[in-house]
Amino acid sequence: MNTVAYTVFVAFLSSVLTLVAVNALSSPDAAVPGDPEAITHEELARHDSAESCWKAIHGTVYDVTGFIADHPTPAAVMLEWCGRDASEAWDNKRPGRPHSSFAEGMLERFRIGRLVD
Amino acid sequence: MRRHPRAGDLALAAAVLLPLAAALPRLGWPADDAGAWLAWIGRTTGILGLAMLLLAATTSIRVPGWDRPFGGLARLWRLHHWLGFGAFVLLMVHALALALAAVPLGLPVALEVLFPPVSRGAIWLGWLAWLAMVLFLAPTFGFFGRPHYQAWKRLHLVSAAALLLALGHALPLAGEAWPWWLLGLAGLAAIAWRKLGSCRTRLAYRIEAVEPLARGVVELVLAPQGRRLAHEPGQFVYLAPLDATLAAGRGEEHPYTLASAPADECLRIGIKDLGDASHALQSVTPGSMAQVEGPYGDFFGRHPSGRDRLWLGGGIGITPFVGGARDLLARGVVDGQVLLVYLANRPERAYYLDELESIAERLADFAVVAHYYLERGALDLAFLAEHCPDFSEREIHLCGPPAMNAHLRRLLAGQGVPRSRIHSEVLDFL
Repeated sequence: MNTVAYTVFVAFLSSVLTLVAVNALSSPDAAVPGDPEAITHEELARHDSAESCWKAIHGTVYDVTGFIADHPTPAAVMLEWCGRDASEAWDNKRPGRPHSSFAEGMLERFRIGRLVD
Repeated sequence: MRRHPRAGDLALAAAVLLPLAAALPRLGWPADDAGAWLAWIGRTTGILGLAMLLLAATTSIRVPGWDRPFGGLARLWRLHHWLGFGAFVLLMVHALALALAAVPLGLPVALEVLFPPVSRGAIWLGWLAWLAMVLFLAPTFGFFGRPHYQAWKRLHLVSAAALLLALGHALPLAGEAWPWWLLGLAGLAAIAWRKLGSCRTRLAYRIEAVEPLARGVVELVLAPQGRRLAHEPGQFVYLAPLDATLAAGRGEEHPYTLASAPADECLRIGIKDLGDASHALQSVTPGSMAQVEGPYGDFFGRHPSGRDRLWLGGGIGITPFVGGARDLLARGVVDGQVLLVYLANRPERAYYLDELESIAERLADFAVVAHYYLERGALDLAFLAEHCPDFSEREIHLCGPPAMNAHLRRLLAGQGVPRSRIHSEVLDFL
């Protein structure tokens, strides 16, 4: 038992340090667009259904249509925020608790533009 | 040791699985991609690991009688040890699996799962809990050698901090808070009892006599100064001597097996010089006071199987059998046949043997035979077959040094004796 505990401990440390080292050595992602597409409130409001669901979160617009079925909550929870600013829902996954870093990373995959007046 | 689960084991298994059972309807089953699987594994190992950590704290409790549904205190604390081990391993898998699950989203995201901004304090509390676990578990698992018992015991108190930090990590993040409140409070109550309440169960005894049995072995005779300890044969107590002249171990509690019969007015404890505290006790002052806590253990078990019994005792491991033989004499009856094989190096080291032979002369169904290592080598099949031809049909209790126990277990297993019929209790590092 002692050997297994020690081995797992060393393996865990090594894995975390490897992640840190590889991340530090990787070059920044050049694919991030410098000036994302501008999307108006009117354009956003047209995508308010399960067929096309866009959401604005803190000024960035995301097309989450393809993710509704995979989201852990019932679809109605997601659909309620389609076509409008969903920052409040994002910041309150449960009252006072925002979504995780993991979810933040996942959200980036759905980014399509920035919200303009 | 019995292999089938006891009532305590089943209750413990249910408690380990309770938070996961509460969370599974929410977690569901992962989708078919590796990332979803890793995230699911990360969450379930976190839930199971924390449950095990909190229950490891709960099972560290020491209340006379509470250990018996688990097969005695030594076995309960082996379960405690396994729970701590499981928690340590699973919680590391938890953190790593969640980070790896985020790798498809980019390494920075994976790193941020592990090391988010300081505003996400709950995650950092998890890291602090892990650090506290490393601090108190590294000596337990011998990462850097085996520590001194008292130092290890003090360091183990860091577990209370680990518990609080782990709860601080889980409560803001968990979907269901009630299982964590339930198990968390049970764990913290157990630690508080150990440190603040358990001394109230100690009984005052006076050391009436210190009777030498052989070189480096004495028997202490302790008289109750108030309420008398009720116990069964073969159980053990924690003894804390208060003699101010002791060179070591004054006020420290150490486990010792009772050699007295439950009916005896005085407690009798055979003590071999095996360390600083037991060395000092060889010359403890008669008339001085001691505190006794117990009884603990389930050496002879509570539910007789009706089979004849074979007792194999060696070294200071003879003491539970001395208690057993004295009990048979006090009751005047033996259920079935009992044969005690006393394994000693040579006749001078067979302390208690004269008394055991005298008991055997007075009880028709109790017999004792001595086996001397220096004359015959290790106990072998021929010796067993000669003195106890039906040994493989008997309930077998064994107690002695680790090497003797290991040899006897191999010998008996080689003859097809099922493990469920071999009983022993090792008071190791209690």
